[in-house]
Amino acid sequence: MTSIQISGLTKRFGNVVAVDNLSFEVAQGSVTGFLGPNGAGKTTTLRMLLGLIEPTTGSSTINGKPYRELVDPFRHVGAVLESASFHPGRRARDHLRVLCTAAGLARTRVDEVLDEVGLADVGDRRVKGFSLGMRQRLGLAAALLGEPEVLILDEPANGLDPEGVHWLRKFLRTYADQGRSVLVSSHLLAEIAQTVDNVVIIAKGRLVIQSSLADLADRTRPGVWVRTPQAQALRDALTAKGIAAELTTAETVEALETTTEAVGIVAAGAGVVIFEMTSKHFDLEEYFLELTTPTTDSITNGALR
Amino acid sequence: MKNLIHAELLKLRTTRMIFGLAFTVLALVPISVMGAIVSAGKPRGGPALGTGEGIRAVMSAGSSGVLTVLIIGILIMAGEFRHGTVTSTFLVSPKRGRVVGAKIVASTLVGTGIAIAAAVLTLAISVPWLASKHIHVHILSHNVGVVLLGGIAATAIYAVVGVGVGSLIRNQMAAVVVALGWTLVAESLLIDLAHEIGRWTPGAAAAALDGVSRNGLLPMWGGAVLFVAYGLLFAAGGTRFVMRRDVV
Repeated sequence: MTSIQISGLTKRFGNVVAVDNLSFEVAQGSVTGFLGPNGAGKTTTLRMLLGLIEPTTGSSTINGKPYRELVDPFRHVGAVLESASFHPGRRARDHLRVLCTAAGLARTRVDEVLDEVGLADVGDRRVKGFSLGMRQRLGLAAALLGEPEVLILDEPANGLDPEGVHWLRKFLRTYADQGRSVLVSSHLLAEIAQTVDNVVIIAKGRLVIQSSLADLADRTRPGVWVRTPQAQALRDALTAKGIAAELTTAETVEALETTTEAVGIVAAGAGVVIFEMTSKHFDLEEYFLELTTPTTDSITNGALR
Repeated sequence: MKNLIHAELLKLRTTRMIFGLAFTVLALVPISVMGAIVSAGKPRGGPALGTGEGIRAVMSAGSSGVLTVLIIGILIMAGEFRHGTVTSTFLVSPKRGRVVGAKIVASTLVGTGIAIAAAVLTLAISVPWLASKHIHVHILSHNVGVVLLGGIAATAIYAVVGVGVGSLIRNQMAAVVVALGWTLVAESLLIDLAHEIGRWTPGAAAAALDGVSRNGLLPMWGGAVLFVAYGLLFAAGGTRFVMRRDVV
């Protein structure tokens, strides 16, 4: 089932096209990473999805309805936006009480969500004394008030320390495993690569690719990196067996689209001594950069789409 | 809607701003009542205390905090944009008209509450003081009751106008400066220099509501009708503007 559907969304601010005919969907029970460099139009897209910005054209739905038409939206959707903002003079607990009251939710949820995000001890402090990481947690607490089945987060890892990022990853994973859906934006693929099932990558307001993370990995070429005093001999042996290989230095060989097992067998057969061997994982981040940098526009529009 | 109004009142209670402003209003009351009583009957002061006009002048001094309530109305709306809390407010209630409505109700309730407190304080100071001068006022009399009620009504409507102004002017500081500049400077000049035009301004309409007949102002009922109309106009304009604005 589809939790979030974005259909042909476009937003112009004056002459600037922030989002350009963007379409994608988020399946129920999945974590989808929404990726793109800063300024790619991620925040504008999420704000259109949440009814905060009026799209120039196009539409979007959550659980089949535009956000503005949801009855009790807090029970369906929780959102943490990049500029999650609080009145500096208001206590954290009061901020949540206000939202609870407005949404008609039980007061008991306030303490429950404070506990869930690890802010139970500081709930009575005014927000102005909060670090960026604490504010992110408070924003998440607010999003969780209505126990929504869809969670939307804009750059949630900003300001979190490594422990906080780790906690967030686990949290999102658990959340999706309960059959709920998460759409999480980031400008760093590595930050969310361990958490997401699917990725939607945009650049300059346009869709570059929507794919499962597994499919994305398939598009890159894993290989094997070998250090050996007989580099030339190994390369020739591999090539003879039909494995593409090249000398990267006088003492190292890179074999493409193969496994350490295959290289090991070839090396043994050729009597080549190996000092070091490792399978080379593709660098998702590098691939992401390649997809989203302006110079590769022609490639992304042609070959990869 | 009831939930939203409760939430707006809770928002006000959970920051210190409202208490500071309410204190300001109530602190102004003794000063202006004292000024009205002391200057009454003096060459450059108000009408003599023994007259009905004199009593009205003293009672109307109690509503000197109306502009503070205008600021409360502005802050309740513009403050959301200033601190960015408008995002979560509109996420809870994407029907923005209801949010503005709840803010109007909440600020009117608070404004009225403050105005009633100011009226009670005015009576508490002026009645014993005037009695010591052998002037006895009846709280239910025309000169007292109508003036105090007019002041309370003006205060409540100023709260509505404030929410409208806070909706129309994005920047909180600019909204406060424009509102005070207009009411304290521009309107006063218009009323003094061109009262044929000036009497139709919101501030003059509000002033007419306090029941002290002054040169050039509309009669009390006229001020009431006009100021209510201004309140509705600002509320409608502000709502329309907020409905269409992108929250980025």
